[in-house]
Parts: sequence; structure tokens; C-alpha cells
Amino acid sequence: MHPSDFARTTTFRWTVAIAGAFVLGTLLLFGFVYWQTAAFMTSTFDDLIIGELHIIAADAPGRRLEHIDNRLRDDPRRIRLAGLFDLDGHRIAGNMESLPPGLTPDIPASAMVVRIDNRGRETENVRLVTGTLADGEVLAIGRNVDDISEIADIVRRALTLGLLPAFALAIIIGFVLSLRAHNRLSEVNRRIQHIVAGDLRERLPTRGGDDPFDQLAASVNRMLGEIEALIQQIAGISDNIAHDLRTPLTRVRIRLERGREHGGTIDELRAVADQAIAGLDQSLTIITALLRITEIEHSRRLAGFSDVRLAPLVREVGDLYDPIAEDKRVTLRVEAANEMTVHGDRDLLFEAIANLVDNAVKFTPDGGYVELALLQRGDMSIIRVSDSGPGIQESERGAVTKRFYRSDKSRCTEGLGLGLSLVAAIVKLHGFQFTINAGPGCTVEMAGKQVH
Amino acid sequence: MVRLLLIEDDKETADEIRAELGDRGFDLDWAPNGIDGLDKARYGKAEVIIMDRMLPGMDGLTVIEALRREGMRTPVLVLSALGAVDDRVRGLRAGGDDYLTKPFAAVELLARIEALLRRPAESRDTVLRVGPLELDLIERTAKRAGRMIDLLPREFRLLEYMMRRKDQMLTRAMLLEEVWSYKFVPQTNLVDVHMGRLRRKVDRPDDLPLIHNVRGMGFILRAPV
Repeated sequence: MHPSDFARTTTFRWTVAIAGAFVLGTLLLFGFVYWQTAAFMTSTFDDLIIGELHIIAADAPGRRLEHIDNRLRDDPRRIRLAGLFDLDGHRIAGNMESLPPGLTPDIPASAMVVRIDNRGRETENVRLVTGTLADGEVLAIGRNVDDISEIADIVRRALTLGLLPAFALAIIIGFVLSLRAHNRLSEVNRRIQHIVAGDLRERLPTRGGDDPFDQLAASVNRMLGEIEALIQQIAGISDNIAHDLRTPLTRVRIRLERGREHGGTIDELRAVADQAIAGLDQSLTIITALLRITEIEHSRRLAGFSDVRLAPLVREVGDLYDPIAEDKRVTLRVEAANEMTVHGDRDLLFEAIANLVDNAVKFTPDGGYVELALLQRGDMSIIRVSDSGPGIQESERGAVTKRFYRSDKSRCTEGLGLGLSLVAAIVKLHGFQFTINAGPGCTVEMAGKQVH
Repeated sequence: MVRLLLIEDDKETADEIRAELGDRGFDLDWAPNGIDGLDKARYGKAEVIIMDRMLPGMDGLTVIEALRREGMRTPVLVLSALGAVDDRVRGLRAGGDDYLTKPFAAVELLARIEALLRRPAESRDTVLRVGPLELDLIERTAKRAGRMIDLLPREFRLLEYMMRRKDQMLTRAMLLEEVWSYKFVPQTNLVDVHMGRLRRKVDRPDDLPLIHNVRGMGFILRAPV
């Protein structure tokens, strides 16, 4: 990666920003420490010089000069200053050359004074307080404040020693992090290019960790898996469609050909045409049913959902299929005593129940029974259709909800093998559960959460 | 001669429909696209418009919406290769027009055109009569020549629908859509079974039959001559 690209990576920019914030914070902290320390020391000095001023001022006039001399002599660090000035401001005693202007008596202030002693003249920064004595003379007591600027120096040195390496470290870490992020991203990008180019088996890299990046990659991989499965399913479905459409179409073609060769009379030709139309109708029915399933699976009809009362719905399906069952000499029992409500699409639920009953009636032999019941189990409402038909083999139960699957036993019965897939699509859209149970014959259940 | 307008972009389909409807005594005008169709619908004298849903240049439903905005009330039968009945089509149905999915049987097309040509008048009668048959919509009772007929609610609706459209061919698909308001095609011959029950109740063995099963087409309710 080119260094100029580097500064543009998000990780690096964030690192620089955080390092900057860290520097600013440290500066503020150190500044505050310095400011507090200086204020504390200044106030200590002030107390000290005010105290001394009062002591010397309270001395008898004769003792003052001696006192001042003692004070100055006993000062190995040369931090003390004192001065006694007459009414005209001339120095009488002490080591201050002159009295700085603008001082208010008894209030300590910062000032510049010139120290004179056996080493010569020297200008110093001091805290200074003055007091006017009874005879009109002015007494000034001071304290050197170089200690305070020394503290400032220490703070500054600490800052330089600590802050610069920390900042450099932050920049280096930022550099490494963004390099890693960049490498990872370019790997992801490369693989996505493969996927875009059509290789759906490609997956994003994961490190088996738990960081957000890995979680994201895992989510994307799950999504890719789902898409891959769907595409394979679609491929399988088109094979099934091709097969289920080709069979009747081939029959039609053979019949038409034979009809053209051998059909001697108009009536014979008519019979051939009728058979051909029936074959075409069968193909069309398959296409219609398929489109219907696709429509349900892809529908965003959730917006059209409302509270659906199940008991009237079940009774209505019962009324609809009662004559059909009777014609087949199959007993249709309907039990819908419980009042239950679910959230769903009434028409689709009707269609699903009707399909289940349709199937049951179709596969139940003469003299058998079909039972349609609305049950309550916990807070689930269950629509159960059971019959005394041949049942569905355990090994086939998963497969019957797939499109076009038709149990081998029922191949001889009229049907399109789409009924249960349609039910499965509707159930999935509603988030309900669909189970096929063993029992005498076949028992299917559709379970949905009740609304209150 | 009844004039119809066909708006359909596929010439072969149009020729087939024209031949079929010509045999049945209709005079069919043809427009190959939505723009021409709109023109002919405005200035022709068609009593029913048959329109393909997917037309080059202008969608069939858009043509209908344009006509309706201009106040044209000519009924429209929309032909479509799309199976899905979406909201726009539902709105169309509510407006009294009809919808037929391609491919369709010729009888289905004829029955739908007949139905659109003879839309039942908004009758305020509370008692419907066809020959000896009487249906009281308030009392919810049916009588044939004074004999009470015991009907289930669905049978009552079926009979009412048929009596409002007496002498008309009613196909299974029409009955499923209108009487059962099914949006799907059941795998079992539901209509035949229910119709069989109704017939046994309405037409006793020694009665002259009122409900006729026309093989391969549908059902007609007709008063005996």
C-alpha cells in the first residue's frame, strides 16, 4: 500500500484523532497541575511574608535594623528580600535597591526588584508586601519565586519525555491496525469479486474469533449459503418442471401424431383432439399451481394480515368438502367448538386448510373417514386433518412438502404433487408450524400462535 | 351484429380470436397496440373491449384507466399471461370489468363476453323469478311451483347468481370466482359436486330440468319453454 493511501484509511484517521485527543487531554491535565501548584506556593509565600512584615513592624524602631540584618544573613538559598525606606523612598536598610511603584500596603503582589548584596546587583521575580510604619517609613518584605518557574520547567520536561513517545506509539499502532484492516478488507474484496463473477461457493475469510468483523463475515457467509441453497433448489425445480411438463406434452405429441396417421373419421380425430386438449390443460394446471406457490413464497402480503377467526373458517372448509366426501363415501367430521383467533391472511389460510382436506379426501379409500379439527394446545391453535388413508412413510414426510413430490403409493391417483408444497409455503409465510405425524392413516397439523 | 374491439399485439392470437368470435356472429375490430386501441375505443362503437394486459407502448390497464377518466363506461375483458391477481386487477373487477388468464378455452372467452354484454341490471326486486322457480332474497327461501326447496347458504348464493344470469353460459371458473370467491383452482371438481346437489334439489326427476350441464363448457339456468 502506498503511504499516501495510508493516511486515507479510516482506521488510521481514527488513530490520529484519538492520539490528538490524548495529547490535548494530557496538556490540559499538566497545565491544571502546574496552575494549582503555583497558586498553592504563591499563597504559602504570601502568608510567610505577611507574617514577617507584622513581626518586624511590631519591633521597637531600634531593633528593626538588627532584625532585618539577622533575617538576611540567615538565608543560604538567597531567597529572602527585605527593605526599609524613608518617606522619600530612600533606602535605609535591607537588600532591595528601591521600592517598586504601584504597591498597595499590606496586599502581597508579584513584582520585579533589584537585589544588592556583597555579590552585586541582580534583578529577581518576587512576591512582595509593604507596610507603612508609625514614623512614616515603609517596610518591604519579599520572597523569590524562582521555585515556581522551576516547577513549570519540571512539568515541561515531564511532558516532553512522556508525551512524545506516547504520541509516536499511537501513530505506530494506528499504522499497524490500519494495515491489518486494509489487508483483511482487500482479501474480502477479492473474494466478493469472485462471488460477483458467479462463484457462489466462495466464502468470506473468518478467523474463528468473536470480533465484529468475524461476526459480519459469518453473517455474510450464512447469507451466501442460503442463496446457494436457493439457487440449487431453483435448478432442481426447473428440472422437475421440465419433467412434469414434458410428460403430458410428450403424450399429447404422440397422440396427435398417431391421430394424424390413423384417424380415419372425423369422430376419431375429435377424440384425439379432446385427448390433446386434456393433456395441454394438465400442463397448464401445473404451471398455474407453480406460479401460485412462487407468488405466495415471494409475497410481501404481511401488510394484508389481520386477525382471523379460525372456527368459522374451518366450518366453511367443512361445508365446502362435505358433498365431495359424501360422493366418495368418505365420512368428513368437522370439530370446531373452540373460538380461536390467529394473525394471518384469511384467504391463504382457507386455501391451506382446503388443500389439506382436499388431499385427505382424495387419498382416503371408500368407507374411510377424514377428520378436520380445531384444537387448543397452550397458546397455540392447531388445525388438524387426519384420515384413514394410506398415510405417509416417515422417510417421505420431509419430501412431500417439496414441490412436485408425489408419494410413490399415490402416483396412480390424480394429483399434481403440489398441494402440500402450497400449504408449506402458506405456513412458512405465516410463521406457523407444520407437522406430519404418524397414526392410523395420515395426520397433519398446522399450528399458529393465538392472538388475544 | 354486436361490435367488439380487440386490443392485442400478437397478430396470430388476434386472428384466432377474430375467427372464433366471427363464427359466433360478432363483428371484431382489431388494434395492435395501446395507442391505436385507445383511439378505436374512443371513436368506435364497441360494446365490449377485449384487451391484452401487456401491450407495446402502453400497458393495458393504463389504457383502461385513461378511458375511465374520459367517462367511457364500455366494459373491458382483460387477457393476461400473468397469473397473479394483483391489487390493480382487483380494482378492475370491482369496476365491473373482467379478467381472464392466458391461455384460455374459447368457451371461457365467449362466456365472459356474454356476461359483460348482459350485465344484470341493478334490480331492486326482492324476489327473483325464472319460470316456476322463485327466490325470496329477504326471507332467504326458494320455491319451485309452490314446493319449498331447502337450501344451504352456499347453494342459495349459487342459485341466486344463476337466476340473475338466466340463459347465460356460466363456466366453472366464473362460478368459482363469483360464488365461492376462490382465488385458486382447487384440485377436485368442487363446482360439479355442489352443482349436482343443487340440481337434485331444484330439478326433481319428473320436473322439466331448469339447470343444464353443457358438456365441456359449464352450466345454464333456463326456464322451460
